[in-house]
Amino acid sequence: MASVKDVATLYQNLKTEWAKKPRKLEKCGELLNKIKIALTQLTFLPSNNTAANQKELILARDVLEIGAQWAVATKDMKAFERYMSQLKCYYFDYKDHLPESAFMYQLLGLNLLFLLSQNRVAEFHTELERLSVDVIRVDPYVKHPLALEQYLMEGSYNKIFLAKDNVPAESYTLFMDTLLETVRGEIAACIEKAYFCISCNEAARRLNLPSQQAVLEYGKKRNWVLGADNCYHFSASVDTSASAAEVFPSSELAEQTIEYARHLEMIV
Amino acid sequence: MAPAEQDVEMKNVDSPAAASDVEMPEVKKDADVLAVQDLREHVRQIDKAVSSKEPRFAMRVLRSIPSTRKKLNGNVLRAIINQLFPASSDKDALIAFVEMALPDAVEIEAPRSRSAPKSPVPEVDAYIHLLVLLRLLDTNKLEEAVECSQLLMNKVTAQNRRTLDLIAAKCYFYHSRVFELTNKLDLIRGLLHARLRTSTLRNDYEGQAVLINCLLRNYLHYALYDQADKLVSKSVFPESASNNEWARFLYYLGRIKAARLEYSDAHKHLVQALRKAPQTAAVGFRQTVQKLAIVVELLLGDIPERAIFRQAQLRKSLAPYFQLTQAVRLGNLQRFGEVLENFGPQFRTDHTFTLILRLRQNVIKTAIRSIGMSYSRISPKDIARKLGLDSAEDAEFIVAKAVRDGVIEATLDSEKGYMSNKESSDLYCTREPQLAFHQRISFCLELHNQSVKAMRYPPKSYGKELESAEERREREQQDLELAKEMAEEDDDGFP
Repeated sequence: MASVKDVATLYQNLKTEWAKKPRKLEKCGELLNKIKIALTQLTFLPSNNTAANQKELILARDVLEIGAQWAVATKDMKAFERYMSQLKCYYFDYKDHLPESAFMYQLLGLNLLFLLSQNRVAEFHTELERLSVDVIRVDPYVKHPLALEQYLMEGSYNKIFLAKDNVPAESYTLFMDTLLETVRGEIAACIEKAYFCISCNEAARRLNLPSQQAVLEYGKKRNWVLGADNCYHFSASVDTSASAAEVFPSSELAEQTIEYARHLEMIV
Repeated sequence: MAPAEQDVEMKNVDSPAAASDVEMPEVKKDADVLAVQDLREHVRQIDKAVSSKEPRFAMRVLRSIPSTRKKLNGNVLRAIINQLFPASSDKDALIAFVEMALPDAVEIEAPRSRSAPKSPVPEVDAYIHLLVLLRLLDTNKLEEAVECSQLLMNKVTAQNRRTLDLIAAKCYFYHSRVFELTNKLDLIRGLLHARLRTSTLRNDYEGQAVLINCLLRNYLHYALYDQADKLVSKSVFPESASNNEWARFLYYLGRIKAARLEYSDAHKHLVQALRKAPQTAAVGFRQTVQKLAIVVELLLGDIPERAIFRQAQLRKSLAPYFQLTQAVRLGNLQRFGEVLENFGPQFRTDHTFTLILRLRQNVIKTAIRSIGMSYSRISPKDIARKLGLDSAEDAEFIVAKAVRDGVIEATLDSEKGYMSNKESSDLYCTREPQLAFHQRISFCLELHNQSVKAMRYPPKSYGKELESAEERREREQQDLELAKEMAEEDDDGFP
């Protein structure tokens, strides 16, 4: 049986290790695993029958917070998700028992960004509903992903590229990168639809790619055809839709007509 | 079911008694005596329901709760408890919650009975206890109400009787209400879950319906949309639940779906909730649902009909939403911002604020659509100026997205720097009209089928002779009474 003291010393170890620069991520991971096992002996997992000890709760929460940041640093998305769902219990359900953590909004904002970068918009909004309106409007950590979501929805993609440089915390950059990749895909899809032809230079500017070389590579991925005049031409999409209109949807029509007949028969 | 509705109802509960208090002690005396008589009649009905195992008698009593509630006072409750309960600790515990009778109150004589009262059946016990709880709620003694409600819960949970189910369902509802008023809603989640499990096992439909609604309300109170969504997906709402419970459930469902961006589902549920809700009473409920429905409709890209805002009962409360709709319809970003600024606090109390924040992109879309219709060629710079955007670059991206989403038919020319509209193709050459017709036809057919299913025929009445005029008059009389009771129940259904 591990006592609070043991865990506390382990936590101190972890904290010093975490604060060191450069961090040894593997060592932190090892320590985290050890602490988590030790924590299960305490009131780590929420249950009804034991009144939670405040000190233990705070300890557990701090460990989890470092864990979440560690997961971001090691780019382990799944672990991050796990840590966050454990942390949420401390942030919301024990709200009355614990003093507010300094990292709370930073991590919650990070979680929002994470959901956004994975394109899980429904969950993004469910999470957002839990936060009060004042927090949403004022807190910089939460405002950032919220603004991004708005840009994404209305299509001001270049603002997202601009937002890349003023992230509220260092840990946000990882998810920003994934988000930018998603955004680039969106822009490419838009370009395909909206332009008849676009020059390589213009495309580079739109896609926020550094050079023409990069555009060429990206274009290859999306099967873009480069014309002789150094322009991409998009007319294929128009053709396919036109040809689709030619085909008469006979089976579908027949199905509908039969259904009407069946219903009419029931009525008569 | 918003707090506002409760307030509306609460106010008119006390007023009749208070008014008659001062002016006509005579009338009041009679009223008290009559009220006790009514209560005795209720008790008899419940007894009958228990002995004959016919829930409809108990249902009638419960349906008249709103009118009974208005008649309650300390005097009446004391009298009825004294008449029904034998002297015991139970009785003392109950009577302790009842306020002292007013000094000028009349003594209500018990009808002489041959024997001392026996212990009442648990159903009657629970009913009377519920009335005491209601009185505490009406007189705003919340602390005592909590205690009283706890006792009642203990009584109800200790019993395992099918005849108690209907009354128990009401008890759950008011239990949850008491805890909501005292802001301790999160404490009873466990109890509600346990009761839901039990009532599901016992096929207690009314209880299930009430408990699921209580739990959903509980979760949504703390904005736990995730949990609420999981509860809905893991439980089955009983088909045979009453209309009022259905309306509530559909409203909660609409809220959850709207939060999860499933707008068309949300809209469907909200419209159904409006249809199921009582048409004359429960104005507050309809206001709340209508507000949400308008926002969801806007999010869907539709504009709600103007007639919605004209309904007399809803007009005033929907005024901010009317402004909002106009801003979206005109595609005026500036005006949208003003509405948000002016009515922000109200939108927040309506729980629609975060939804409305999402509307911004719809405003932009409408604006782009109208620009697309009026110009055949326009530069992004001009678009940016018209929309009040920061730069031409923004406008270009936004237009590109609008093209991809099918909002407008246009192309961008990056060399010359303008957006040119495609000639809009003749819609009647495409399959569009056919699809629209199909949608309407299937809707009508579905409606017809639903209404056929909803019709009820009395069993084996097809062979009977036609009723005589006498019988018909009698039946019509009964129908009228029933309709009146139903209308009163509607009143109660949405505190």
